[in-house]
Amino acid sequence: MPAASAIKVLVVDDQLSMRALVKTSLQQMGIRDIREAADGEAGLHELLAKPAHLVISDYNMPKQDGLSFLRAVRANPATAKTAFVMLTGRADKELVTRAVQYGVNNYVVKPFNVQQLREKLEAVFGKLT
Amino acid sequence: MATDPFEAIKATYFLECEELLADLERHVMALESGDADSDTLHAAFRAVHSIKGGAGAFGLEDLVRFAHVFETFMDELRSGRKPCSEQAVRVMLAASDVLADHVAAARGSNAALDHARVAHVVADLEALTAGTAPSAPGALAAAAPEPDGPAPDEFGFTPVAFDFGLGDAPAEPQGWRIHFKPHPRLLETGNDPALILRELARLGPCDVTLDDRDLPGVDVLEDGAFHLAWDIVLNAAPPETAVREVFEFVDGFCDLVIAPLGAEAEAEPVAALIEAPSDPVFATAPIQMEAASAPAPARAAEPAASAKPAAGGGGGGGTAGAAPSQTSIRVDLDRIDKLINVVGELVIQQAMLAQSVVESGLARSSAVSVGLEDLEQLTREIQESVMAIRAQPVKAVFQRMPRLVREVAELTGKSVRLVTEGEGTEVDKTVIDRLAEPITHMIRNAIDHGLEDPDARRRAGKDPEGVIRLAALHRSGRIVIEVSDDGRGINRDRVRAIAVERGLIAADAPLTNEEIDNLIFLPGFSTASTVSDISGRGVGMDVVKRSIQQLGGRISIASTPGKGSTFTMSLPLTLAVLDGMVVEAGGQTLLAPLSAVVESFTPKAADLHRIGPTETLIRFRDRFLPLIDTAAALGFPAAPMQQSGARGIAIVVESEGGMQAALRVDGIHGQRQVVIKSLETNYTKVDGVSAATILGDGRVALILDVDALLSLGKRAGTPADLRLAS
Repeated sequence: MPAASAIKVLVVDDQLSMRALVKTSLQQMGIRDIREAADGEAGLHELLAKPAHLVISDYNMPKQDGLSFLRAVRANPATAKTAFVMLTGRADKELVTRAVQYGVNNYVVKPFNVQQLREKLEAVFGKLT
Repeated sequence: MATDPFEAIKATYFLECEELLADLERHVMALESGDADSDTLHAAFRAVHSIKGGAGAFGLEDLVRFAHVFETFMDELRSGRKPCSEQAVRVMLAASDVLADHVAAARGSNAALDHARVAHVVADLEALTAGTAPSAPGALAAAAPEPDGPAPDEFGFTPVAFDFGLGDAPAEPQGWRIHFKPHPRLLETGNDPALILRELARLGPCDVTLDDRDLPGVDVLEDGAFHLAWDIVLNAAPPETAVREVFEFVDGFCDLVIAPLGAEAEAEPVAALIEAPSDPVFATAPIQMEAASAPAPARAAEPAASAKPAAGGGGGGGTAGAAPSQTSIRVDLDRIDKLINVVGELVIQQAMLAQSVVESGLARSSAVSVGLEDLEQLTREIQESVMAIRAQPVKAVFQRMPRLVREVAELTGKSVRLVTEGEGTEVDKTVIDRLAEPITHMIRNAIDHGLEDPDARRRAGKDPEGVIRLAALHRSGRIVIEVSDDGRGINRDRVRAIAVERGLIAADAPLTNEEIDNLIFLPGFSTASTVSDISGRGVGMDVVKRSIQQLGGRISIASTPGKGSTFTMSLPLTLAVLDGMVVEAGGQTLLAPLSAVVESFTPKAADLHRIGPTETLIRFRDRFLPLIDTAAALGFPAAPMQQSGARGIAIVVESEGGMQAALRVDGIHGQRQVVIKSLETNYTKVDGVSAATILGDGRVALILDVDALLSLGKRAGTPADLRLAS
């Protein structure tokens, strides 16, 4: 039963509004340590500079999509053990299958509300307190 | 919290929508013109997808529904299931417009959605999607704007639990992570790492990362040493023994760590494995968490993006690696404007300091003077950099025009092609924001009034497709925007007749062609017999002219019957600074914009020629120019001048329209860059004066509006020569 306030999260999305939305939702769950990155490359930088427990990344990003970012996170020993939750706009079986191959921990289909996001995270971390 | 945080996010979302819509339009236009590459469709898809994603989050259901239909169609195209035909592109263009309308409607704009049009475009999209897309109805249902996505088990997905030492979650290995660092001995014994990796690949797909961190420079590379290591992710789950078997023959000749992939509860092998310069998350997590839980409120107040190293922990290596790769940030415009204001004050202060130094009689080579020169240089650089922050390419405005052209062309039944040039030309953001409306109006006008319908064009031997050209360029410190058409040109007889009818000019007024063309800028002038739906909207060219003038700009027209018309707008690049010539007239210090100044000279009495009782011409080179007494035109008392008997100086200036004249002043005090302070905002509009500034000595100086002054001088008809030649 991890404390929400102890979890460090990195939110990766090219859209500022989506990052803000995820961040606000996380804050409502009591998560305090939230960092942001606008693309996978910056996200990996962030993770290498300061580890996080969880990455919440969008799939649909221009330079590098969420899957490639997931692969990059998993391929680097320094970041490989970070939990990874993918946000997708489409319920796409092929995408989910590939994300599983690359080691995704869970995925969330947009739109989502705080409770749904919480459930998705609790499936990964166990009940958050 | 007083305000809903989601409202602020929503505002951000709508800003992003503007960019996304512009991207979408650009990509679809590229598809239309054949400039598309393989990524264009994907990029267009992403834009729609992003708009939909946010719309879902904010419960904008109409927008989601439409975006979804659009996106589904584009998915067919990008997957190649459906050809990207001309028809497909046409529908995408229409759909982009409708999507923009939906965004505007969701934003609460008062423009109502054209439901008939929406239904039409939706029908087109669905018809095109249907043919080859058996999965379409399913997909539609799946992503319809319902609060929930599909349950995880729909795809047989099981969330992968994750334990960072606080919880209790089981781990189910999905594969193996292997760290393999051969010792030199491995090679000496005839083993080859490549063969081992190949062997490993037989167990399943591998992601192999070379770790060359320990590789020294070539100059210190030792014979027989080995510095490479590999990190392998084996994306298959054979028994661990099978993995170990691969390395059986090199056991003891290498560092080998094998750990299950995914949720690793046992941190030990992993911690050993990760010896990256940054702190491994598992090793430091408990400590950081304790630290993080205590000052939680304080941390929450911090902007989350700040990547401060954990208190007490982390070496320099961690922060050095934190260099963000983000290339742009969003800054509130107010902050920039505040900065610009302060820099403006800095420039004035610097000028005042420079003047004091000169007045104090310090040598130019003195340390203070030299230092001040450096300071001036720096001040100027700061000023330019700050101005550059506000500069944006006019593309932001130009991008909106293709849609306008399509719509107006459709409404008028004309065939129109829009050509844009110089989209990258940069100008101050305020100028850009205020340019959209006049340009929109001029383009509407050009299509509605300027271009003929296709039949008339054919009869005139022209291409039935009319061309509207929208161009931007920098010219002598200003930005020039041209809107031209290859239509029929201005019907001067008609313009003249209307002006007479409206009582704007006398029936027998002797007017040049140029003057007739410019009549359309007069208030109350409208050539359309009925206010047309398109260019009407109750706005005439006089409003366009006024809005351009408010930006410190000018507008002029050049028209050739049968060939077309060109509207030219010239605007300052920034509304904040100006290079000017400091002059004196009527005991006042004034500033003539350097962009308008051609030359200055001291005339001789023989150069002056009186014409009638009031007008004077001055000879400049081989031409005669009207001479305007600046002080008299502005209404300053002339007395002090005559007493002093000063002879005066003539400054040759040029108006936007290219007309030249000479301004008579009493003296020139040099050139200076000044910060423009609006006179209108702080006082009231004064004819012949465009703004004011504060000079180095703290005095206020008025900035001359050359164009206005020329017409003022003409009207006032001052006998300027009397004093000049006294």
